[in-house]
Amino acid sequence: MDEYSVKFVAKKISKIRWRPKLDPKGPQSRTFATGSWDDQNNCIALWQILDRPIASENGDAESLLVHEPQKVFETSHVGDIMDLKYVNHDLMAVASSTGSVSLLKHRSNTEAVTPVCAWDKLHQFQFGGSAPCTCLATHNEWIASGGEDGRAVLLAIDQQAPLQTLDKVDSCAINDLSFLKQSEIITVNSFGQLKTFDLRQDTSRESQILSVTETHTPLLCVARHPGQPHIVATGGYDGMLTICDLRQERFHMTRMEAHTGPVWEVKFHPVHPNHLFTCSDDGSLWHWDSTDCATDPVQSFMPSKGKCRPPMFPYFTVGIRVLISSLL
Amino acid sequence: MASTVEREPSEFKLPVPNVGSVGLNCEWGLGQQLHVFQTQKSPANASGVQELKLGVENQSIFDIRWDAEMHDIARKLVNESHNIFVMLQGQVKSLAEPALDAQLRKASKHYRGVLKACQMELIQLAESCEDVTRKLKYDTYIQEFEIVQLIWSLCQIIFIDIAPGGLILKALLDWLQWHFPEGKYLAKEVCQDEQSCSHPKYWEAVFRLLLQGNTENVRLLLSLHTHSDAESFVAADELLRKMPHWTYQHAQSAAEFEMKWRHWREECIRRYEAGEFAAYAELEMIVQVLCGDEHVFRELKDYCETWYHLLVSKLLYQNPTVRLTDLTFHVKSSQAVFNQTGLSSQELDNILQAAFEFDIHQVIKDTCTYLSNPSWWFVAHLADLLHHCKQLDPQKLPFGSNLREYLLLEYATALMSHESLWQVGVDYLDFCPIFGSSYLESYIEHIPLDNERKALKVLHICVERKLSLQAQSVCKVMGMKCLRQERLGAALSWFLRSKDAVVIKQVTNKFLTEYCEQGKFSHLDLIDYLGPSMLITNSLTFLGKYREFHTMYDSGDLEGASSLLLSLISSRLAPKTFWMTLLMDALPLLDLPKVILNIQQTYEILHCLEELHRDGTASDESLSEAEVERAKVLRLALQKNLSRAIIEEGSIKIES
Repeated sequence: MDEYSVKFVAKKISKIRWRPKLDPKGPQSRTFATGSWDDQNNCIALWQILDRPIASENGDAESLLVHEPQKVFETSHVGDIMDLKYVNHDLMAVASSTGSVSLLKHRSNTEAVTPVCAWDKLHQFQFGGSAPCTCLATHNEWIASGGEDGRAVLLAIDQQAPLQTLDKVDSCAINDLSFLKQSEIITVNSFGQLKTFDLRQDTSRESQILSVTETHTPLLCVARHPGQPHIVATGGYDGMLTICDLRQERFHMTRMEAHTGPVWEVKFHPVHPNHLFTCSDDGSLWHWDSTDCATDPVQSFMPSKGKCRPPMFPYFTVGIRVLISSLL
Repeated sequence: MASTVEREPSEFKLPVPNVGSVGLNCEWGLGQQLHVFQTQKSPANASGVQELKLGVENQSIFDIRWDAEMHDIARKLVNESHNIFVMLQGQVKSLAEPALDAQLRKASKHYRGVLKACQMELIQLAESCEDVTRKLKYDTYIQEFEIVQLIWSLCQIIFIDIAPGGLILKALLDWLQWHFPEGKYLAKEVCQDEQSCSHPKYWEAVFRLLLQGNTENVRLLLSLHTHSDAESFVAADELLRKMPHWTYQHAQSAAEFEMKWRHWREECIRRYEAGEFAAYAELEMIVQVLCGDEHVFRELKDYCETWYHLLVSKLLYQNPTVRLTDLTFHVKSSQAVFNQTGLSSQELDNILQAAFEFDIHQVIKDTCTYLSNPSWWFVAHLADLLHHCKQLDPQKLPFGSNLREYLLLEYATALMSHESLWQVGVDYLDFCPIFGSSYLESYIEHIPLDNERKALKVLHICVERKLSLQAQSVCKVMGMKCLRQERLGAALSWFLRSKDAVVIKQVTNKFLTEYCEQGKFSHLDLIDYLGPSMLITNSLTFLGKYREFHTMYDSGDLEGASSLLLSLISSRLAPKTFWMTLLMDALPLLDLPKVILNIQQTYEILHCLEELHRDGTASDESLSEAEVERAKVLRLALQKNLSRAIIEEGSIKIES
């Protein structure tokens, strides 16, 4: 767990994603993609972890393996990369601050990704100007995108025309969204609210709306429990992690103080949902572990002792740190 | 565009059509940035804002930046060294003297490590680059990195990593070997040659290594010579083997070392004078070097390349126990040897000379003017280190801060001008105790807020540093942007964050106008969920409560709805323009079969209606036809209700 390597890069990284494995039982993925933001020329880069043996410090013959990420490909991107999600092993969806969503494909036998298609100006303000597309969510072959214009759009990877446009999802900006089921999405906004929408029914009104705080602190990210779709975790601008149970009859939530800066992303471990990860503007990544706690997932997440690291990079990560060991 | 302290004026040519007497005016942008625009008057006349006519056709604003360019590798350097810098500042705060010294030395090595790594990467890039002009560019970058490292490592030897006892020759030799690797390369080349000794550069390699005190490899090279079994060679080898080397590790005192060395030198001189090496001119020369013969160094000066190499080489064989403080006296003679040629650049010489003379301020000053792009990087970090090592004069400069802070501010300013590295700049400003926060205050307001996520980041920076005014301004800028785009919800969410009553009122008034026009509220997802935020300002309270009235009314709670409406009317929270709508809302409550509004409440509404009426007749803009008509209807309903209430309340009285 203490083994990690640091690589400094020239551009500020906004998103970082592992490329999914083709074979779920196969060895761990060794490729990941990053997107940059706030630059004149933003780019999407692909990295590969290379193992390099080095002699250990005390000169033992036994050599240690250093896992070093190497940039293998880079392509420029118009606008900040606001979100990056893999649809499947080969396809990667990218959200841009220009309001468009593009789809990139890994070319077999090369390191490169090339654009497959793009949905331009998907998000626009009602009175002029493109709105940044802030988030993406994927479910099978579907992509949902949310924007600062408060709209969500449902796309299918093989169709140029959007499947569905949810015009009035929000009065302010949507910061993140996620599929609860094929037909249900959840969004979080800058007013501190969680909203769920049933795509089969009238989508002009949310089917559920929850305010997390009284002060309307923006919620920045949301993740669904892989096993129990009614459990979601969300992180806010105030650094708090909130776990909610969305079932109407027993709605409750737990709020936990975590980071000293905004929580930019929250993720459940896909296979071991007792483990949760949050990362923040304060430069820290936290690993939450509920394995030893109560069976109720809403109340059981505690910051795992010894596994959460003190902030290494002051409140924004210029460099990327990649935790190589399997995280668990 | 060299970034120099004594800057030569840079000239920008703006593509401005020269129509009549056109003047230019400018506003500061972010850091090293100016926004220049045309004015009708020449700048001398443009004394007041009112004279600025913006009616110039095709008005354009020019965005002028300087020194903002930075290649990818330099940016990497910035990012990585930032990490070291911040860590070091933390250690300065928390650690005491001895531990801190170790950390400072470590930090210095770290910085150099990063520099070296970046240089290596540049070399790799240059090698793989096929474009000639770009390759040339890379080469200049590499050159610059080399110079920076050369100066830094010398400064480290002289100011930071001071050797115990003040004996510094060993460190200086390391410095030479690090920065003049030519000898090593040659030696390698020669060794790989099948007939080493006939290689044209054989002796050059030997002498280069010898001048750096690398006796091990000199012996190795000599052993490859075809005559290496000859007596002279064996003798030379013996002398080289016997040469005493100073090391930190061995607990030998300086005096002991000096004695050994003198003994060894005497032997060299004796054997040289005995003519043991006369058979081979080169061997003789080697031994002359060992003897510290002044003359032979002059002959070998080309292998030294520079006066500072020569200086160290001479010291090695003439005065190996030289103290740090005595270095100064040896500089001039070495420089004299090279003076005739004037091959290497003058500025670099001056910088290194200043370092040898302990004039750190001169080093910093000259480096600022000498280096082009990453110059602030270098001096800022070096000055910071030296400041913590107590090598810098902590005195305040005439303008109020010390040298360290002055340089850090300059560096931070350069970073703030960069579209992406401004976040790093913020961190540097944090460690400038005197002017840091005021610089930050003025810079942070100029950071373009492209999207919400960036705005939230900037806001967080402000909040973290308790810059409440700037935080407010971020919220206001974002909110106003939303307001202009008619995104009332987003505007409200931003204004709520700054709790700015004036602008919140603007938004709520728009909500109310929208309601008047369309008869329903949009943005219910916000209005219905205001909660305690409602209490931030009166206008918001009114909006929230008014919406609550509608919900109550729609759900059939007429009693509650009417009392809420009444309190809304009597509180006079609503803007005047909305009063009519508010009063008309009472109409359905008056027409109910059951009397809901009692006498007092009816009077209250009447009072309000009269007030509105009086205002309407008093001011020029009287009520519109339709409104007068509606007022009539309302008045009638109120009268009816009043009479019903009197009867009802009267009957209650009789019963009681």
